[in-house]
Amino acid sequence: MSPPVRARLVAAATLLAAGCDAALDAPVAAGGDTTIADRTSNAYAQPAANLDAAGLARHRAGDAAFSAVFVRGPAPVNAGLGPQFNHNACEACHVRDGRGLPSLGVTGSQALVRVSLASGTPTVPGGAVPVPGLGTQLQDHAVFDVPPEVALVLAWQPVDGSYADGTPYQLRAPAVTATLPDGTPLGAEVLRSFRQAPPVFGLGLLEAIPDDALAAAADPDDRDGDGISGRVNLVWDVDAGAARVGRFGHKASMPSLAQQAAAAYANDMGIDNRRFGAAPEITEATVDDAVFYTATLAVPAPRAVDVDAGRARFTQFGCAGCHTPTQVTGDHPIAALAFQTFAPYTDLLLHDLGDGLADGRPDFLADGREWRTPPLWGLGLVQTVLPGAGYLHDGRARTVAEAILWHGGEAGAARARFVAASAAQRDELLAFLAAL
Amino acid sequence: MRVALLLVASSTLSVAACGGDPVGTAGFTDQQVIADFADRVVIPTYALLDARVDALHAAAVALAATPTAANLDAAQQAWIAARVPWEQSEAFLFGPVSAQGFDPALDSWPVERTDLDLVLASGDALTPAYVRNLPETQKGFHTLEYLLFGEGRSRQVAELGQRELAYLTATAAELADISGQLAASWTVGSPTFRDVFVGAGTNGTYPSLDAAAQEILVGMSGICDEVANGKIADPYDAHDPALVESQYSWNSLDDFADNLRSVGQAYLGDVPAAGSTGRGLDAIVAERDPALDARFRAELAAAIAAIGAIPPPFRDAITDPAAYPAIEAAQVAIRTVQATIDGELAAALR
Repeated sequence: MSPPVRARLVAAATLLAAGCDAALDAPVAAGGDTTIADRTSNAYAQPAANLDAAGLARHRAGDAAFSAVFVRGPAPVNAGLGPQFNHNACEACHVRDGRGLPSLGVTGSQALVRVSLASGTPTVPGGAVPVPGLGTQLQDHAVFDVPPEVALVLAWQPVDGSYADGTPYQLRAPAVTATLPDGTPLGAEVLRSFRQAPPVFGLGLLEAIPDDALAAAADPDDRDGDGISGRVNLVWDVDAGAARVGRFGHKASMPSLAQQAAAAYANDMGIDNRRFGAAPEITEATVDDAVFYTATLAVPAPRAVDVDAGRARFTQFGCAGCHTPTQVTGDHPIAALAFQTFAPYTDLLLHDLGDGLADGRPDFLADGREWRTPPLWGLGLVQTVLPGAGYLHDGRARTVAEAILWHGGEAGAARARFVAASAAQRDELLAFLAAL
Repeated sequence: MRVALLLVASSTLSVAACGGDPVGTAGFTDQQVIADFADRVVIPTYALLDARVDALHAAAVALAATPTAANLDAAQQAWIAARVPWEQSEAFLFGPVSAQGFDPALDSWPVERTDLDLVLASGDALTPAYVRNLPETQKGFHTLEYLLFGEGRSRQVAELGQRELAYLTATAAELADISGQLAASWTVGSPTFRDVFVGAGTNGTYPSLDAAAQEILVGMSGICDEVANGKIADPYDAHDPALVESQYSWNSLDDFADNLRSVGQAYLGDVPAAGSTGRGLDAIVAERDPALDARFRAELAAAIAAIGAIPPPFRDAITDPAAYPAIEAAQVAIRTVQATIDGELAAALR
């Protein structure tokens, strides 16, 4: 079948799915016209439904780039890995274009630890202060004849609690130990932040939300008195050589998908490129392809089930105060992403989430208690795409309920309403989230 | 990850479920097909893989003990035999094989030749623990393939020194360990993944039987897409033999054909090589639209035949203009299979 025919059929399917949503679910399609109807383990890995033939071809090239396994070289294909790195392919951690597992170690690692010092000279204006010899990210893998920067071990510590109705629960908190090659522990002065790989679908839509719209939603001094501030991160744009609004990464420390991808090639895989590193080991076209791929991954439509009661709880409990249901894109070089109204459930702003989730590691304007609101689209498919996956920035939450229970700070009031609610009311909310 | 571009399959199933009925009362309702897919297709395929990888390990041990041309040939044949059930599992790359990392542990490509040479040149003892901690690109099917077959399928037994033989044995043992874990992966844990999948409609991972049926169809469609538009198209479009998977053994065309056989086995609910039969999607399609069932079987057979019509080895065919029509005909035939899965099959099963 030729690509144009495929595109037409996908469009038809999308119309049907959208009609379904209109009847039973949110009035806004999850990913606007990019939305696909897929509730399988491939739900995050589909091209945007509204890509044209040229866009599909480019998406396919990006798919190859995103799945390419790198080796150190010299090698006839995919050379450039390392010498130190976290993993050898984009999709090795962004599993099926979703999140990774919260796992560390010699094999099976799909997470990483960012590091910095509390004071000193940042690499770029306003940025994190690198640790001498380690930079801002611990690379716990390396090629054969080079030692990794550290050895990382992840352990979990139980945290007990109970709902207002007496129902007990047990959460778990991560404890990462980092050991240097000489056998000594990483110094206590090093600030560290353990993170799992986030999902990568729908990112083009997030990039296409105008800066002004994010700024307009910010309320840094909580002038509206709802207990929720919401701040824009201002981060260094290496292309512009200037500060810009940040929106990607767990602390919104990246201004663009291109910079995010280039930094991931350099830091996660040790592959130098035009923006980061001494001598490019991949072409700019490869980075561009990977960027286009993540920009044009579709958003799956919610399940067509009646979850209106849970949707009401979402607003009533205050979740929507940060997890903004609807956003609108402006113009964008990729036509499929331009002027879309969609439902990511995020404001892309920084919020204080309290002591329980604090990493104590600032990143540009984000302080050690702040995190960027993650999108909730596709949330109900997390276990379908990657059985055993975790939630929150470090995967500590094994269920969505656990993730809610970890919220604090600006989200403390919303959490308190969830804890105080009846089991039936909690289930209504969870059913709504599971349908996303 | 490569995926199907077109998912009318899932769309139509979802749409069928949203005409006002609660999900689960419309759409796919044949629980036996879902159960048999797990019990009669997936689990027997992995069991067969595990048995053949064990045989490969035994052949590697024999080769290391007595390095003769006959034992090298036997080990090569054991590799090719073990490859069959792996490729025949690629229509269902969901669940533990993906979530627990068995796929890259078994099948990482390309091979990390530089570091492999350094390990071989080192004095490091090749203990199981040492090998376990080596990167996946220095282990698995393709590293074994490189050691057994060499560049251009030219390996002579005299080229395999003690280090190479020890490495071959150690990585074959590791592969056998992983295939054993994979074989158990659907039936260990609480709940088991098998019970989650077969229990579709009673859990959040597969909230309806529809969802489980979609998973089967998307897997079938996805591997067609991968073969036609990835495994064949990437090296062919670039006319670059370095991009060909299974290039050392010249087994690429057999890999592709076994991928299509995997589609057929997922559809029929049978794995002939494992002596396993069950109720497949075909039972439903044949009842509702026998002509479609016959057509789909014919399209699958045609695609496998079209792959077989490409002159081997594939790594040479992609730079031989006389072979280009056969390569493109195979792509067309595989895309035809995919289009039927995404379109009529999905519609017939909703």
